[in-house]
Amino acid sequence: MTFRRRAIDWSLAGLLLLLPALILRSSLKTGELSALDQAVLRVSSPLESAVTWVVEGVGGMWSRYVALVGVEDENRELRDENDKLRRDLAQMSRRAYDAEALEQLVDLKKRTEADLLGARVISASTTPFFRVVRIRIDRGKHEVTHDMPVVTSEGLVGHIGNVYGDHADVVLVADPDSHVAITIPNAGLSGMLNGLGRDDSYACTLSLLEQTDAAGKQPVHEGDKVVTSGAGDAYPAGIVVGTVSAVRKGHAFRQEIEVEPAVRFSSLRAVMVIVAAPPPPDPDADKKHKSEPAFGTRPL
Amino acid sequence: MRTASHVLVAYVVLLVLSSIWRDLPIGLVRDATPDVAALVAAYLGLTARNYIAPAVAGAVATGYLADLLGGAPPGLHALIAGAVCLLGHGVHRRILVRGVAMTLGFSAFVGAAASLCVVMIRVLSNHPLEMSFAMRELVLVAIGTAAIGPLVFRLHRRIDAAFARTHRERDAALEGITQ
Repeated sequence: MTFRRRAIDWSLAGLLLLLPALILRSSLKTGELSALDQAVLRVSSPLESAVTWVVEGVGGMWSRYVALVGVEDENRELRDENDKLRRDLAQMSRRAYDAEALEQLVDLKKRTEADLLGARVISASTTPFFRVVRIRIDRGKHEVTHDMPVVTSEGLVGHIGNVYGDHADVVLVADPDSHVAITIPNAGLSGMLNGLGRDDSYACTLSLLEQTDAAGKQPVHEGDKVVTSGAGDAYPAGIVVGTVSAVRKGHAFRQEIEVEPAVRFSSLRAVMVIVAAPPPPDPDADKKHKSEPAFGTRPL
Repeated sequence: MRTASHVLVAYVVLLVLSSIWRDLPIGLVRDATPDVAALVAAYLGLTARNYIAPAVAGAVATGYLADLLGGAPPGLHALIAGAVCLLGHGVHRRILVRGVAMTLGFSAFVGAAASLCVVMIRVLSNHPLEMSFAMRELVLVAIGTAAIGPLVFRLHRRIDAAFARTHRERDAALEGITQ
C-alpha cells in the first residue's frame, strides 16, 4: 500500500470519526432526533416488539409448561400442610363447641334451683334400625339412679335408663320407651308424650290429651311450645320439651299431633342430670311479714 | 458487503439483547448490560485488512444503531465505537485474540474502555456522574461485555468465514487470525 493510499484511508477514518462527534454535539445541544434517527427508530420499533413478543411467549411457555421442576414436591408439602390445618381446624371447632355447650350448662345450673349434676356424653348408640336413641354418660351409679331427668339448656333430653359402673344410658324422649307428662300452655291441654323411635327424625307423638283449662281452650297449632307438666313426679314441671311440628285430624274428634324435640340429640356433647327436683314454691312467698323495729320505743 | 453484513448482524444482536436483557431474572445481571457496539467495533478493527476506513464506517454505523436502540444521544456510542475500532486496529499486530480466556479478557477490556469513554464524554459535556455509580457501572458493563464477547466474536468469525475466498482464508477467519 502506498503512502498516499494510506493517508487517504486514515483521513477517511478521521472524517468518519468526526461525523459522530458532530452528530453527538448537535444532539446534546438540541436534544431532538433527526429525520434519519426517526426513520431508523420507526423500522426498529416493530422489530423490537416482535422480538419481545417471541421472547415473552417462549419465556411464558418455559415457566408454565417446562420449568415445573419441584412443583410436585411443593404440591405434596402443601397438601400435607392443608391436611394438618384441616385436622387442627376440626379439633378447634370441636373444642369451641364443647366449651359453648359447657357454658350453657353452667348458665342453666345458675338459673335453676334444682340440684343438677353435669355429665359428658361419651358415646351414642349407633344401631342402624333406631338411629341414635340412647346416650351414654360418664357418671355412675353412686351419683345417678334410674329415671332421673336429663336436660340441657335447650330443654329435656330424656331420663336415665340403665346405670352400670361409672356409666349410664339416657333414654331420649324420642325413644319409644319414653313417656313424658306434658302440657301445651297455649291450648290449655295436657297429655302424654311418647317417642316414635323413627330412623329419620326424633319426632314424638302426643296422646291422652285432656283439657286442663276450659276457659282458655284453643286449638293446637304448629309451633306451639310443649313443656313438662310435672304430673307423676318423673319430670319437674316447666321444662321445655319441644314444639308442635304437625297436627292431623284422626278418628272421631281426636287429633294426631307430632312434636319436634327442642334438643338436637345428634350434636349432644354435655348434659345435666336433675339429681333432686327444685323445692316446691312457697305459698306464703307473696305475703309480707312486718318485723318488729330493732330500735326505738314500742307503742303501748 | 462484508462490513454491511457485520453491521446488520450487530443490529439484530442489539435488537434481541435490548428485548431480552430486561427480562433476566437477576437484578445485578440486568445492570451488567453488554456493550455490543464496542465489541463489534473492536472486532472490525482487529480484522481490518488493508484499509481501516470501511471498518471505522461499520463501527460508527453499529454505534449509531446502538445509540438509537439504547436511548443514548445519537453519536455517543458511534464516536466511541469508531475510537474502539481504531484501538482494535492498533493492537491487532501485537495481540492475538484467540481462545475463550483471551477473548473474555479482551472483551472485558473493550467494555471497560467504552464505559470509561462514556463517562468522560458525559463529564466533558457537563453531564457528570457520581464517581461510585460510574465505577460500579463500568465494572458491570465490563463483566457483561466479557460474558457475551466469545459468542459475538464467534458469530462474526462465521460471517468472515462465509466471505472467505479460499479455504485458507476461511480457516484463518474461524481461528480468529488476521491476514
